[in-house]
Amino acid sequence: MLKGHLDAIVLAALEAGPAHGYAIIETIRSRSGETFDLPEGTVYPALHRLEQAGLLSSAWTTPPGGRRRRVYSLTRAGGAALAQRRKAWDRFSHAVEALLGRKRAWPA
Amino acid sequence: MAGVIDEYLAGLRRDLAFDPGLADRLVAEVEDHLREAVEADPRGATPDAERRAVERFGLAREIAAQCARDAIDRQARRTWATLAIAVVVTFVAMRLRVTWLDDGSPLSLAPLVDRYAFIAALVGGLVAWFARRQSAGALLGCALGLAASIVAGVLRADLFGSGAPPWVVLPAVAEIAMLVVLLAHLAGWLRRLKQTAALRRAGT
Repeated sequence: MLKGHLDAIVLAALEAGPAHGYAIIETIRSRSGETFDLPEGTVYPALHRLEQAGLLSSAWTTPPGGRRRRVYSLTRAGGAALAQRRKAWDRFSHAVEALLGRKRAWPA
Repeated sequence: MAGVIDEYLAGLRRDLAFDPGLADRLVAEVEDHLREAVEADPRGATPDAERRAVERFGLAREIAAQCARDAIDRQARRTWATLAIAVVVTFVAMRLRVTWLDDGSPLSLAPLVDRYAFIAALVGGLVAWFARRQSAGALLGCALGLAASIVAGVLRADLFGSGAPPWVVLPAVAEIAMLVVLLAHLAGWLRRLKQTAALRRAGT
């Protein structure tokens, strides 16, 4: 289930600002309350795919005294894609909640 | 003696051999990730910490399989772009050739060959374009276009023995060279297709 939403999760993790792969995975883990403890390697193909699609941009950077690392940022198209996926997710989750009986049908 | 991370990276590079550029990039990124994970390990940067970092990261073959799924679409797009450019350049070269070589003789084959070779190539290209999501159809279309263009190229071999001026011969040479490059590209694409198909099977 998580696999189908990985792209949206990665886009959301980059909403706050540019980050490198390790930090993105840490963000996903902490913001999901450790629920999304996915194999870390699965994020890198997703990052590459999203960059190829123009939703992310990336560049190698070397922080002072640190290791060279690739930092990813959300592009304008990436921001729009995130907003779109968020809307789709809202519709989906409201519908599921309505079906499971915890909420009234949506929209009311 | 190579460490756990070094061995893992070597394996990942082998599994990503279908796309050397991606392999370089991903291996560098993964190395950065794994080294950072080892440094962050509360039990210290030991070989065990390397092993834990690699285990959390997942199997190299599964990561390569994910990349393969994406790469195959990208490679297909590149191939179609190359094919489209080849068809356009072939068309331009053929039109120019007819303009220069049409001697008005009723037995002259050049205009006939050029006209139908291009149409065959175009049909092949269109088949490939519409079949882009089905590799077998795309491959057939690509092969048809190439075959038609190669036939045209072989039939125009008379150009080289006829003492035609260089401005006539050069475009024909350039076109044949381009076809050779396209064939090499197609061969490389087939090789990568085979590798990615193997990875897909391994990853599913």
